[in-house]
Amino acid sequence: MNEVTAGLLPEGLRDRLPPQAEAAAALLRGVLDTVASHGYERVQPPLVEYEESLTGRVGAESGANAKLLRFVDPVTQRTLALRPDITGQAGRIAATRLAHYARPLRLSYGGPVLRVKGTQLNPEREMIQAGAELIGSDGVAAVTEVLLLAVEALQSAGLETLSVDVTLPSFVGALAAGPWPVAADKIEAVHTLLDGKDVAGLRAAGASHYEPLIAASGPAEAALAALRALHLGPAFEARLADVADVVAALPADVRVTLDPTERHGFGFQSWIGFAIYAPGVRGEVGRGGAYAITHPDGHRETAVGFSLYVDALVDAGLGLSAARRILLPVGTSRADAAKLRAAGWSTVAALTDNADPHAFRCTHRWNGVEAVAIK
Amino acid sequence: MTDEIIIALPKGRILKEALPVLARVGITPEPAFSDENSRALKFSTNVPGIAVIRVRAFDVATFVAHGAAQLGIAGNDVLMEFDFSEIYAPVDLCIGRCRLSVAEPAEQAANDDPRSWSHVRIATKYPNITRQHFAKRGVQAECVKLNGAMELAPLLGLSSRIVDLVSTGVTLRENGLAEVEVITEISSRLIVNRAAFKTNPAVVPLVEKFRRAVADAAA
Repeated sequence: MNEVTAGLLPEGLRDRLPPQAEAAAALLRGVLDTVASHGYERVQPPLVEYEESLTGRVGAESGANAKLLRFVDPVTQRTLALRPDITGQAGRIAATRLAHYARPLRLSYGGPVLRVKGTQLNPEREMIQAGAELIGSDGVAAVTEVLLLAVEALQSAGLETLSVDVTLPSFVGALAAGPWPVAADKIEAVHTLLDGKDVAGLRAAGASHYEPLIAASGPAEAALAALRALHLGPAFEARLADVADVVAALPADVRVTLDPTERHGFGFQSWIGFAIYAPGVRGEVGRGGAYAITHPDGHRETAVGFSLYVDALVDAGLGLSAARRILLPVGTSRADAAKLRAAGWSTVAALTDNADPHAFRCTHRWNGVEAVAIK
Repeated sequence: MTDEIIIALPKGRILKEALPVLARVGITPEPAFSDENSRALKFSTNVPGIAVIRVRAFDVATFVAHGAAQLGIAGNDVLMEFDFSEIYAPVDLCIGRCRLSVAEPAEQAANDDPRSWSHVRIATKYPNITRQHFAKRGVQAECVKLNGAMELAPLLGLSSRIVDLVSTGVTLRENGLAEVEVITEISSRLIVNRAAFKTNPAVVPLVEKFRRAVADAAA
């Protein structure tokens, strides 16, 4: 291997420069302010934990193990790992240090996460995750609260047209264990085929009775009607009624689809999950759903949450505020400078005479009396 | 135009069979599309808001996975090789039928005992499928990636076996090769980008049209 060229970063990592670095910070702040205004209190777990803490509890997301960047702690000789996701850490806090707090417990978080490998579509390995978790309930009211919160956070970040895809992560498993039996050793294969909506594969695997689920996914109203028409029995119909209640609570300007078989990344979620899409952003901008946290004594507590990656929003060009940078010539009084900052300017003090405002990316120059726009 | 739908079609073998399917759905590309000499890459159709592109079979999956095209037509060989999580394959178009098979020189096939293999060297366009297929049987497959003319590899000693698409078997026989194992049956699928499926209101009805067109043709 040759010497590393100055500036070359490892695969999947990058520097954020002005103004995108500022945009990322502003977007993170905006999302956290929105959730804080709904009573979600911030927690800040560490970047690194014992490997087993990150893979236990909520970390049961399929493949979570494979996402960890591990190393041995030179002090304790135990395996440590960088967090690939903060949701699990928030769950750990709720199940340990905040186990005695009244439920529902509302927590929020934001910070960098690192996964050992990017995906084909998103090669980034480091991302900024932000989210909110409501711990102690996964009922219709709790799910509705979190979903509306996610929508509000994204809309205030500047995404006006949102599309929510509601998923039923445990639906196929329940069907397989009930009215639409599948041999135990075939369930995973059927799940995988449904993930790819692979109709031909389902037929070849002898599970063609699951095809109506693929045909049913689409706009929520039609999808719910199609699922009800399958007459799956009272337990399923009650579940669908709950889903319909959640869907009905969404604002009219949000498009809602329903996908009963979707499992992409919803491995650890229970009766309902959601992914949020927006034009101009590749893939999802946010996702969440109901799940369970395992306490140290083994009991499981219901929860619902959402999280998003700020990076996708930055890449979509959001969070940029019009720069109001003013160049202060040498000799500008401190009082004048303070007044300008109080009025919302970013002041850039020249340290030499004849400083070029362009070179410092200034939009204005202070002439001692007023701000002069620079052409 | 954010809501334009682009359908990626594979050049070559499947294209001839794909056009009648498109026609049954009511989509006819502009005449230049069928002109082999046309250098255009993107073509309009009789349906406003729907355009088609003509790319290599493997690239159809890549365009659709990344959302550069919303729909496409691809064989399950391509889908299995890439295993893109962002692609749905909701309709089997029942065209482009063939199979993906292991082949080797006929005289070698006569004396070969696959039970004793621990390592095989295989020339193929499908290294991922090949590796997985043999790994499942506990055999390590060392793949030499070729983009065409696979049949030459055993003749010239590049590898002793190949994994390739077989439809009639004539090409294999003409080159002294015998098909020893079928890995999977192949047919072409309508593929859809996952995000487009969720967010573009025109996509689901279009998929439904394809589904009906195939069902009507089978009936």
